[in-house]
Amino acid sequence: MKLTRRELAAVVSATAVAAAQTEPRAPVPADELQIARNRLTANGDLLAQQEVPMATEPAFQFKA
Amino acid sequence: MAAIGNDVFFAGISDINRRLRSREFTAEELARAFAVRLAQLGPRYNALALALEQEAIRKGKEVDKDLKIERFRGPLQGIPYGVKDLLSYKGRPTTWGARPYAGQVFDFNATVIDKLDAVGAVLTGKLAMVELAGGGGYRLASASLTGPGLNPWDRTRWAGGSSSGSAAAVAAGLVAFAIGSETSGSIVTPASYCGVTALRPTYGLVSRHGAMALSWTLDKLGPFARSAEDCGRILQAMAGGDSKDPGSAGKSFYYTPQYERPVKELKVGYAAVDFADRAEEPARPAFQTALAALKETGITLVETRLPQFPYGPIASAIMAAEQGSIFEPLITSGKVNGLADAAQIAGLKASLEVPAKDYLKAMRLRRIIQEKLTGLFTQVDVLLAPGRPGPATPLDQPLDRGGFQPAGPAPPGLQGLVQAGNLAGLPALVLPCGFAGNLPVALQIVGLPFSENLLLALGREFQTRTDWHKKRPPEV
Repeated sequence: MKLTRRELAAVVSATAVAAAQTEPRAPVPADELQIARNRLTANGDLLAQQEVPMATEPAFQFKA
Repeated sequence: MAAIGNDVFFAGISDINRRLRSREFTAEELARAFAVRLAQLGPRYNALALALEQEAIRKGKEVDKDLKIERFRGPLQGIPYGVKDLLSYKGRPTTWGARPYAGQVFDFNATVIDKLDAVGAVLTGKLAMVELAGGGGYRLASASLTGPGLNPWDRTRWAGGSSSGSAAAVAAGLVAFAIGSETSGSIVTPASYCGVTALRPTYGLVSRHGAMALSWTLDKLGPFARSAEDCGRILQAMAGGDSKDPGSAGKSFYYTPQYERPVKELKVGYAAVDFADRAEEPARPAFQTALAALKETGITLVETRLPQFPYGPIASAIMAAEQGSIFEPLITSGKVNGLADAAQIAGLKASLEVPAKDYLKAMRLRRIIQEKLTGLFTQVDVLLAPGRPGPATPLDQPLDRGGFQPAGPAPPGLQGLVQAGNLAGLPALVLPCGFAGNLPVALQIVGLPFSENLLLALGREFQTRTDWHKKRPPEV
């Protein structure tokens, strides 16, 4: 793909603005994400222990 | 120009409406007084997201024209109110309490705002909230674009979340009522902490069109107000079917508590342990006094237990899966990093990884929970528990480390009622019921789907015998 200088400038500018908008106020420690993942895994393990009759359908709202 | 006395800021809807009709003051004067008060005092509690003074004054003038020609639109006509900033209001920012959405503007109103506008209620401002209603699992009260919600009873305490501003603004007399939302505790908690009456309606009774979605199958909108009676009148205006909300139950609501069974015939399920060992010690005397006041209404208290399920993890799995899908663009774009709370950011990122089997298992368990709870309501008419086990937490207390735990072994009681009620879509009424030191505590009453009039009848009876819902915080 070829870009004119004007188009390239617009892309670089938009990227810079997006980067500025997404910059975190404070870095999120990597272990925070691991804690959150562990919580989901623990939840999943707990749910797996619950017995559900095969005929039980999920409690979705869907009307045709 | 009539002066608006301080008592008006804490008056009930019927009282204000009567004074408007008797021309004690005009709707314009009332709108101006409330709007100025909200703009001036809202920041003191970090309760204000957006002041709408000019819009409120314009609406007040419209109401005055209606009143002049005796075009009466019901008890909410001319009543100033605020909405949680997760409801869209045409042409003005709707931030969802979150920095990445600070510049977001919609070109339509939420259905609830249009419905309240149609009955003449006067919107004076948008109220602060926990960012994205806290679905990611926030750690600190500061998880908001507007800073931590400060409790009008003690500004070193949290107002509760995620409808922080809605509860604080009603408690401080900055609005006559407010609209908030609940996915799993966001009405019950702030109402309990701020000492205001609030109602979480049955899932589907109130349209969520124009409201931020956090969890399609759990989200609900409800009122914060001065009394059960006010909640009933507001709900009547808010409720109703809406083809724009796929979760709409297509039902209306008419506030008619007088046609309910006499309160003295009601069987109220409760667990004594919830008001003793499972309550924080400073709150126990207030809870015992409240139980005694309830007994005086003639109800029969029946020792009850909830069916045993991991309600919290089930609700978490559903919320995580649904919010992960809803906020996928925010998360994958990296803009999620602009949120204020590190735990919330991590929780949202992790929510993209919820296995389908966990979500489906949780939704299947939910079906069973719904059936079991329906069975429980064949033995009792309503369930009763503390709104929270104790009063508002200090601002710096981590919120993601689990709640209060009793010192020794204690039976489970109705632990998990907030999550269970939300999973089953049940309505709940929060009633202020006393104080732990200088901080309010509250009861929650939960009933079958669409049993709002029964809850309100019991709440009204309780509030004719008590005055905790009329107490005002200091310095307001």
